[in-house]
Amino acid sequence: MQYEDPNFWRAGAVSTTVVMAVVLIMLTIDSLGAISPGGSHVPPYTVINRHIEYAYDNKFGRDMPVIGKDEPLFGTPVNETDAAALIARGKLVIQSRACIDCHTFMGNGAYYAPDLTKAWLDPAWEAWIAITGAESKEEAMTRFLMKPDYYATWQRKMPNLGISRDEAVATVAYLKWLSSIDTNGFPIHFGRIQVNK
Amino acid sequence: MSRSKNLAIKYLAAAILFFGVMTLSGLLSAAYYINPQLLFGVLPFNIAKILHIDTMIIWLLMGFMGAVYWFLPEEFEREPVGIWAAEILFWIFAAAVLVVAAIFLFVQWGPATQTTLWLFQQGRKYVEAPRWAAIGVALVMLVFAWNVIGTAIKAGRITGIMAVMSVNMVPLVLLYLIAFPLIDNMAVDLYWWWWLVHLWVEATWEILIGCIMALAVMKLLDTSRRIVEGWLYIEVALVLGTGILGLGHHYFWIGTPDYWLGIGGFFSALEPLPLLGMVVHAIYDAGVHHMKTTNRPAFYWTLAEAFGNFLGAGVFGFMITLPQLNLFAHGTQWTVSHGHFAFWGAYACGVISICYIALQERRRLVTVNGAGWVWAFVLLNGGLIGMVGALLVAGMAQAFFERAIGGSTLEAFIAGQENPWFVLGMYNRFGFAVMFTVGYLALVWNLLALGRRETTVLIQPAPAE
Amino acid sequence: MTPSMFIFTSLSLGFMVLAAGAYALLYGAARFKCSRVLLFLASLAYAMLALDAVIVLLTTPLDPAWKLLIAASALAYLGIPPVTWRYLQRTHRDEGAHI
Repeated sequence: MQYEDPNFWRAGAVSTTVVMAVVLIMLTIDSLGAISPGGSHVPPYTVINRHIEYAYDNKFGRDMPVIGKDEPLFGTPVNETDAAALIARGKLVIQSRACIDCHTFMGNGAYYAPDLTKAWLDPAWEAWIAITGAESKEEAMTRFLMKPDYYATWQRKMPNLGISRDEAVATVAYLKWLSSIDTNGFPIHFGRIQVNK
Repeated sequence: MSRSKNLAIKYLAAAILFFGVMTLSGLLSAAYYINPQLLFGVLPFNIAKILHIDTMIIWLLMGFMGAVYWFLPEEFEREPVGIWAAEILFWIFAAAVLVVAAIFLFVQWGPATQTTLWLFQQGRKYVEAPRWAAIGVALVMLVFAWNVIGTAIKAGRITGIMAVMSVNMVPLVLLYLIAFPLIDNMAVDLYWWWWLVHLWVEATWEILIGCIMALAVMKLLDTSRRIVEGWLYIEVALVLGTGILGLGHHYFWIGTPDYWLGIGGFFSALEPLPLLGMVVHAIYDAGVHHMKTTNRPAFYWTLAEAFGNFLGAGVFGFMITLPQLNLFAHGTQWTVSHGHFAFWGAYACGVISICYIALQERRRLVTVNGAGWVWAFVLLNGGLIGMVGALLVAGMAQAFFERAIGGSTLEAFIAGQENPWFVLGMYNRFGFAVMFTVGYLALVWNLLALGRRETTVLIQPAPAE
Repeated sequence: MTPSMFIFTSLSLGFMVLAAGAYALLYGAARFKCSRVLLFLASLAYAMLALDAVIVLLTTPLDPAWKLLIAASALAYLGIPPVTWRYLQRTHRDEGAHI
């Protein structure tokens, strides 16, 4: 019978693989457009000059980033080139310190430390502004990154990774940009508690 | 014994050694959850974790290579082309892994420069090794591919199994190139990174272990080539048919368009179906031979492979794969539970089976049995299932309290981590990790001692009356 | 999706696939031993799978398309053991190692 013949299944294996691979490539071409800076889901790097929020959108039925008025980091707006340079440096910091092996980014990484997708929007920074003696959230984050063991959040402390001020500023810029990405609603109702009914 | 088989033994031995490094670093990683002050300022969690997950990849890769080098001369009835290069590269590969481990331990990180990426740390999960080492790994894999494909070309003929393996080598090697680039945009970085990780462990690795298990089953149970090849093609069709677009289950939340929720969820939900087929096949093979074999540990580890793959990847994966549920479970210990079970079932059990197959021939053993392998089998599988169960409890608590209720802030994260069920899970996980470690030691002892004390009994025919 | 419903739905789906594994195991054992008792137990395992699927369809807030997928999967799990078994029997037949 046909289905007892290995050649029948070999033909099936080849055709299935080819079809699925072609579909994947087509979807990849489309997705790369959406996730490039300025695409449908990922704002340009200059979004770090703006106020960012995360709120429920009735039209889409999920949480969405909201890009608001001008609110540059440290009060100084940056142009496209400088924004890209900050983001590039921030990513180098994240990789050189292997942040993804303690933290998660969009839920990917390690689970020992908090997810950083919306870290820029975390309400805890309000307290850290006072604790670090900073004038702004970005300054508090910068001081924290430079001395995380000194400004420990709880018993599981982040170690000091020798992050310089420049590197810390770049990382803060990176986290601000990261929080503006439309992640299809992850994490759900960030910063809002849902009562279990 | 052929040069290829001698090389195979070296690779399998190195695999078992790095399995040990993985186990110890895993034990250490688990300990941090219980005592966060442990080695603070000396060895941070991320380094222990890097050692744990990177040696996992390395020991499994080395195990696959050992298995392939073992069966290559049998499949092609000749010494593989370029075996001399593979022999040299083995020592370089093993030495490089040790050097990288030392760099991770003693250097750990560097400033935010390209130099750090080239020399010390690339900081992308599973592929943290510095670029110079990644180049080495790529070279080793290229030579590995050449050994297989080159031999097929030289021999002028190829079996179905080796044809599948040869074709599979191409994406296997090419995908590794994704370990190299520095991509500023995290969404794009993760997009391509998942091509490497998913299309390795849920596609090309599945095909590779499928080929290896086909060769193992032919050896263990004397099953005909025609049967295993037909089955292999079915497996390829179903695994790649569901797994290639099942890649989409990693594209729910990384900034990609929302059509991935439907595509990824749908194909990913189909992924357990071929795994159930493999379970049926394993039961059939076990029964048709009445559980009789000359190599009991190899046979039982092969069964563990089929069942572990189904449970770890199929059952545990299905719990968290639909996007509506993954939204809560994503990035929690629930993921860890699934990952440990899936890797163990899908790959580790298979590699251990190959170790026993190779040793039976190497030490010229008529039968392989005894209490030693049973201890290792029970302790390793029991320890693993215990860890996975503990992580499931912790993961459920974390998903419930941190994500579903808490809103995933720092405060919610801490609340989740301090939840009594989570803490209970962490303590239990550590306990079962100790059990697993003892099982590993029992495995090493058994592999070293196998057949050393066996006496050969000569059966004399009765004298004629 | 409430937090409790999420936990309930996840565990239900995991149980569904687990029941499929139990069904496959018992089905295979039943065919080998030619045992009606084992075949009955296999049917019971599938019945639990089906009941679990029905509960998911009736009580969880998944969209209709996903519920259709769950229902189709449940049916597929019914067919996989006997179809696979038949295939294995037929292919092994020529090797003289059939059950």
